[in-house]
Amino acid sequence: MKTENKAKLLLWRFCCFAIVVLSVLTFTPLIIPAGTFEPSLFGVPFTLWAGMLIALAMIILTIIASIVHPDKYDNVNETE
Amino acid sequence: MTFWLLVIGGVYGVTLVVATIKARQASHNSDDYVMAGSNVGVVLGFLTFGATLFSTFTLMGMPDFFRTHGIGAWIFLAVSDAAVAFVVLWFGSKLRRRVSSKDFKGMAGLMRDSYKTPWAGYLYFATIFIFLTPYVAIQIRGISIFLNAAFPLTLPDWGWAASIVVVMLIYSEIGGLKAIIYSDALQGILLLVVTWVIAYGCVQNFGSIQLMFDSVREVNPALLSTPGPKGLFNTQFLLASFLVILFLPLTQPQLATRMIIMRDMQSMQQMAIALGIFAIAVILPTVAIGMYGAVHYADVSASEFLAQVLLHEQAPALAACVAVGLVAAAMSTSDSQLFALGTELRSLLSGKEKTIMIYTRLAIVCFAGLAFLFAIMSSEEMVLLARVSFTGTALVGPMILTAVLTRRKLGSEILILTATALALFLISLSGLIPTSLLSIRLELLLLLFLTIFISLSVLCRKSLELKTVS
Repeated sequence: MKTENKAKLLLWRFCCFAIVVLSVLTFTPLIIPAGTFEPSLFGVPFTLWAGMLIALAMIILTIIASIVHPDKYDNVNETE
Repeated sequence: MTFWLLVIGGVYGVTLVVATIKARQASHNSDDYVMAGSNVGVVLGFLTFGATLFSTFTLMGMPDFFRTHGIGAWIFLAVSDAAVAFVVLWFGSKLRRRVSSKDFKGMAGLMRDSYKTPWAGYLYFATIFIFLTPYVAIQIRGISIFLNAAFPLTLPDWGWAASIVVVMLIYSEIGGLKAIIYSDALQGILLLVVTWVIAYGCVQNFGSIQLMFDSVREVNPALLSTPGPKGLFNTQFLLASFLVILFLPLTQPQLATRMIIMRDMQSMQQMAIALGIFAIAVILPTVAIGMYGAVHYADVSASEFLAQVLLHEQAPALAACVAVGLVAAAMSTSDSQLFALGTELRSLLSGKEKTIMIYTRLAIVCFAGLAFLFAIMSSEEMVLLARVSFTGTALVGPMILTAVLTRRKLGSEILILTATALALFLISLSGLIPTSLLSIRLELLLLLFLTIFISLSVLCRKSLELKTVS
């Protein structure tokens, strides 16, 4: 496998790993602390703006993952 | 408003008729009718996927969730849907590599072929029949109640429900999946525009976003954090909902089909990205509508709040757009699910293609009739019943995932375990067994056990195969 493809595969795996980490993080008190709405950002309560950042990060990861998806350099037909 | 309703409803109706005729002309064989020619581009793809995923619940349920249970609703749906975009990218690619669009007849057929027994197909079909029909019914019921409240003395609940079902059947029977996709695209655009315009008005009412949240803080500060004033959005509820929503692209046939019918792999992957952006764009404005409701309509019923904010407070033209948009949203989700039930049945049938298509079309009419009956008899607990519907289909998720990810021989024990989990879940709904064990929700436990036991089954069979070879 070419070095460039190896790097892409590594990035793809990172995206998968990062999505799992973000998902787990979402359900911890770090993002959903019970009964707490501070620190707010421009008046937006904490869980809401933190949740927005999580959602945004997930979409960015999806964009990166689509660029480095193994299908792009695996040289296989769409159906195996 | 009646004038605007006639104008906008008329425009929507004419567009739907033109789209249906266009779809009919483009349909030359049964695969065109059922799979839309498997040539759907990115824009149409994400609009149809999004419109099918976002039902009337987005425009009606989400503002009410924000109003009643607070900002935890963002984690409940927006974060889950952002993760769904990644699942579509990952699972869609796996699914497309597993089956070609030409060979794909439906998930039930795929299960039958993967597990090498018709019982796998029957189990999948029974699951979606049991859980999707009530969901369609809830959609139709919800919108007919809303329309009856908004336009009293026009038609009774059942009259609205019957009208929606008849229109839906006409265009889907004539134009097939392509007509449904066009209708979805129309609805998706309408939903997006309408929610943003209403949300803008809500924020303007307060003066700024900061002032909006300040007002909510004065009225009910518990709305600004989890688990919310009624304690609904606790960690377990959010986690269970997240997992259930993640399984939607795998388990809901209308969504799985939409990944297969994309023009090519690249279009499917771009559709996944657009879907994530569309999800956030649709859910974001419902925060403002909900917060507005929390301040101005804190103590009224859900239907009164929605009727006031979405219709009576808006300019007549916009209110008419909302009413048409809601009907369109109910139809686009329901017709996709009813059509998917028909095509899943088709994937289990064998014989002459013409005869199968007659059965498929008849089945769609029967499923629609059943949904109508359930709609006029069902309760008004739309949101929670919808969630149960998703949870039920999520239980076949591990079985489907295994079938798509592995090409090894799969054991019937997977089917038995899945059927047992489904039976336990259904029994828990009737109250005969508890809905939680050791304070853990039953659906979480069932999903965990299914994942562990199915993984063990695959690993054991793999090592047995290796021993036999050596």
